[in-house]
Amino acid sequence: MTHHEVEKYRKPIRILHWIHSGAFVLLFLTGLILFIPGLAFLAEDSWTRIIHRIGAAIFVVIPIIYLIINPASVGRGLKLAFTWTKDDIGWLKAAPRYYFLGDESGMPPQGEMNTGQKMWWFIVVVFGVLFVITGVIMAFFKTTAPAALLQWMVFIHDVSFIVSGAMLFVHIYLGVFHPLMTDAWSAITGGKVSAEYARKHHGKWYTEVTKGKE
Amino acid sequence: MAEKAILYDATKCTACRGCQVACKQWNENDEVIPTEENGVASKNWGSYENPPDLSPTTWLKMRFTEVEAGGKVRWLFTRRACMHCTDAGCVRVCPNGTLYHDTEHGFVVYNQDTCTGCGYCVDACPFDVPRLEKSGILDIAGKMSKCTFCTTPGLDRIAEGWEPACVKTCPPRALKFGDRDDMVAEGKKRVQTLKDAGWTEANLYGENELGGLHVMYVLDDSPAVYGLPVSPQISAATIAWKDVIQPVGWAVGGLAIAGLGMNWLVARANVKKEAKK
Repeated sequence: MTHHEVEKYRKPIRILHWIHSGAFVLLFLTGLILFIPGLAFLAEDSWTRIIHRIGAAIFVVIPIIYLIINPASVGRGLKLAFTWTKDDIGWLKAAPRYYFLGDESGMPPQGEMNTGQKMWWFIVVVFGVLFVITGVIMAFFKTTAPAALLQWMVFIHDVSFIVSGAMLFVHIYLGVFHPLMTDAWSAITGGKVSAEYARKHHGKWYTEVTKGKE
Repeated sequence: MAEKAILYDATKCTACRGCQVACKQWNENDEVIPTEENGVASKNWGSYENPPDLSPTTWLKMRFTEVEAGGKVRWLFTRRACMHCTDAGCVRVCPNGTLYHDTEHGFVVYNQDTCTGCGYCVDACPFDVPRLEKSGILDIAGKMSKCTFCTTPGLDRIAEGWEPACVKTCPPRALKFGDRDDMVAEGKKRVQTLKDAGWTEANLYGENELGGLHVMYVLDDSPAVYGLPVSPQISAATIAWKDVIQPVGWAVGGLAIAGLGMNWLVARANVKKEAKK
């Protein structure tokens, strides 16, 4: 079977993904309890605030380390995510029929990142930056910044939390639970997807990586 | 039981600061000279006012303002402490009900044990009153502290039927305590007296502000002259955050989970159907 698999995510990418997402989940949960009055007792004496700051440090430092180690890879990823073609529009139109009914007839062939993944990247990048800017102001300028500014920082932090949190559910769902995303989990854990899955889900990319090999 | 209130008559106040001392003494807020570590450090900046600001252990302080009016300098005194608003910004933003209203009297009280130290109340207060302790791990775990209207458990004067410590000690009777309706009536009477004496700008501050404050001021001039917000408001950010985006957030989160659950059921059924073919 081995020769029928293709590598989707290299090991450094997978490590980056899991540390970064682990930090995000930590941040998500320690933030969420502030919005559930019944659970807010967990935040008493500010222990969750310490955890939130440790999570934040990891959330910021890990991508920076990766950027230093492999700037070309980051550049390539950003370029992939922010390059939209008419196939992406086609994907958006055909996606509901595909994800609900399993009808892939209208789905245009996708590159290494499909349109949904591009949207997720967009959210991760944009709201990640917003999280960090607002969070830094709230953490380090709590006593010196004007009250109105701090209040709007809380507001933007919360909007980022809602958008990226809701999309995180979608991301986890598609990666783990959706009946058609059979190889997504193995892609981000072991790095490999079956050739069949790659051909179906990332047709353009599959053609590229297998060119001259088969 | 009726709502209670403090009536502060700025025109009778002599700025003796007895209230500041009584507040600290009764509430066991250490009466040492404040330093950076235990509050706001004392410093000499050319005023009798001291300490410079409210702190976790200074729940009440008198602010002195020098105002030039008609070629004369007037020395005005403003009581700085929690105003115990009916529509309180701090209560609105508190994530877990640490700050709440004493429904019997209308005071804004809190359970410090459950405080998470988030500090949202500090930014939401139109009067800049709550203060965070500077303590704990990395100086970020401090809890909020402010005037409790002398209802701190174990130090509850109101439950005993007594006046708050500041009122009890006030030598010129510039501070009064009683049923809120009585205090409003008395304040209005005093304002009329002042107006009759030629203080045309005299007013009762706090009767209707923020749904009615439980600390009201008799002033002989505009609140602005006394350094008070003329029209204190719940900030736009508080409303946008608590009343708009948080309900939206719950709806978005709920819809996302419901939508994904539905997708799973539909997609799974279709995949099974395909497999049978």
